[in-house]
Amino acid sequence: MKKKKIGLHLFMAVPAFVLYGIFFIYPLTKGIGMSLTNWNGYSAPEFVGLKNFVDFFGDARALHDIKTTVLFTLGSAPLLNLVGLLYALLMNSKIKGKSVARACIYMPAIISPLIMGYIWYLLLQPGRGILFTVFDRMGHPEWFGNWMGSYSTTMLVLVLVNVWQYAGMTMIIYLAGLQNISQDLYEAAMIDGAGAFARFCRITLPLLIPSIRINVVTNIIGSLSVFDIVMSLTGGGPGYQTETLSIYIMRMCYGSKTGYSTAVAIVMFVIVLVPVLISLRLMKRKD
Amino acid sequence: MKKTYSLLRHLTVLLICLMCMSPFLVLLNLSLNTPRHNLYEDSLIVPDFYFGNYAEGWVKSHIGRAMVNSGIIAFAALALIVLLGAMAGYTVARFPNRFNRMVFSVLLGCMMIPGIINTVPLYTLMIRIKAVNTLWGMALVCATLALPQAVFVFSGFIQSIPRELEEAAIIDGCSYFTAFWRVVFPLLKPSVSAVVILNGFGIWNNYSQAVFFLQSSEKHNVPQALSVYFQQFAGAQWNLMAATAVIAIVPVVAVFLVFQKRIMSGLTEGAIKG
Repeated sequence: MKKKKIGLHLFMAVPAFVLYGIFFIYPLTKGIGMSLTNWNGYSAPEFVGLKNFVDFFGDARALHDIKTTVLFTLGSAPLLNLVGLLYALLMNSKIKGKSVARACIYMPAIISPLIMGYIWYLLLQPGRGILFTVFDRMGHPEWFGNWMGSYSTTMLVLVLVNVWQYAGMTMIIYLAGLQNISQDLYEAAMIDGAGAFARFCRITLPLLIPSIRINVVTNIIGSLSVFDIVMSLTGGGPGYQTETLSIYIMRMCYGSKTGYSTAVAIVMFVIVLVPVLISLRLMKRKD
Repeated sequence: MKKTYSLLRHLTVLLICLMCMSPFLVLLNLSLNTPRHNLYEDSLIVPDFYFGNYAEGWVKSHIGRAMVNSGIIAFAALALIVLLGAMAGYTVARFPNRFNRMVFSVLLGCMMIPGIINTVPLYTLMIRIKAVNTLWGMALVCATLALPQAVFVFSGFIQSIPRELEEAAIIDGCSYFTAFWRVVFPLLKPSVSAVVILNGFGIWNNYSQAVFFLQSSEKHNVPQALSVYFQQFAGAQWNLMAATAVIAIVPVVAVFLVFQKRIMSGLTEGAIKG
């Protein structure tokens, strides 16, 4: 009886691994098989080889979705980190009412991005939106641009809304990193005559690398798989212009192109993996 | 010079806070207007303090049912994540044999994969095990997606706890399991709160998985119920929609405000080490 007890504790990771195996790894491997078929969700699947992938790269809508997803990430991931870091530096300085301010900034991040999208749509909607009404009443309807009408401005709105919502999350992680840096280092540097900028570059940034790594990687992954906010703010529109890859996967799956949608998912997997691995490698070197 | 600098800093913070809160204020304002309130003629700033939208939105959107569903899913998923995550984190941190190291690196590797990627094949699996449109199925999916990060947080935190504590308990005759439950687990509080915070709001708000796995209206969670409800109006009746959105936001904000202090310290102490 006692012997059994001693051996079993080595396997306390098994329940987690079993759950993960069934609901993540098994479907993932199955998806690779499914991507090679023309399965439509109900009738028997037929093996079609790499046809889905060939189709994908000839599919203008899919390629445009990649462009949209990547553009969104290129805008949102760096901006989130920059704004989050600025907020954190500001909140780490001497400020009254710090905890209230921190709560205000973090608040948007706890709300469903779906609701956020609807709120911003309500504000920015052309014709009836709140912002238009306000400008109109002020006698300057021309101040309102139809920002949700063209591709570039809609993308900008999406990026800004996303940054607005999640900068608080990034800030908290940077703030935690900043609080772990010993004040002695700054004092020593000041005695040596280092200016504020030099202190930031030589002390703050290098010691923030762990926080930067967490933030950069989660922001890249989060931005590349963006779904809710686009669904509620633009619904992928105008037309399919701001549709992202995640939305495309969902729509293809519902559109009885199950096999094809898993192929798109695999392409998306590669698109996510490349920047994540590159940024991890880059930051390892700096460590 | 120093004073102006400090004043400027405070002003900036105030401005940022206002920017973060303004959409909420707009939402609250709108939700309190009567349906006849015309933004072109009536006041933009002072609402009518009409609460009828709340009653109507509550009844029409079935948001109450959706909140119960979201609550059950979040509770079950978080319990699973904490339990399985802590157990796995413990063995990974304390007994790094080949199997445990393999489990850890597989989980870490998969942390880089967004959930949407395996959703379609997972959907076929869920149909086969009759887990589509069930709360337990959704809870299992949400727990799975959050598991790698939880194991990562727990194992990192357990490594910072001295081994001697459990060893003393084991010498006193405890099994490893009891030592884990009685000695290690109670020490994990900061990590538990970090894991709960990092995932709790996300599970409550989950939409990209709910679209697939909670299609029947009885099982809708909060975002799913709201999106279906909002799509009926297609941009009209904003007062009603605003009131419903406020109802949906209130529990989340309440939880956040009550636990605010612990949330911030939990994230600092429990999640980000080294």
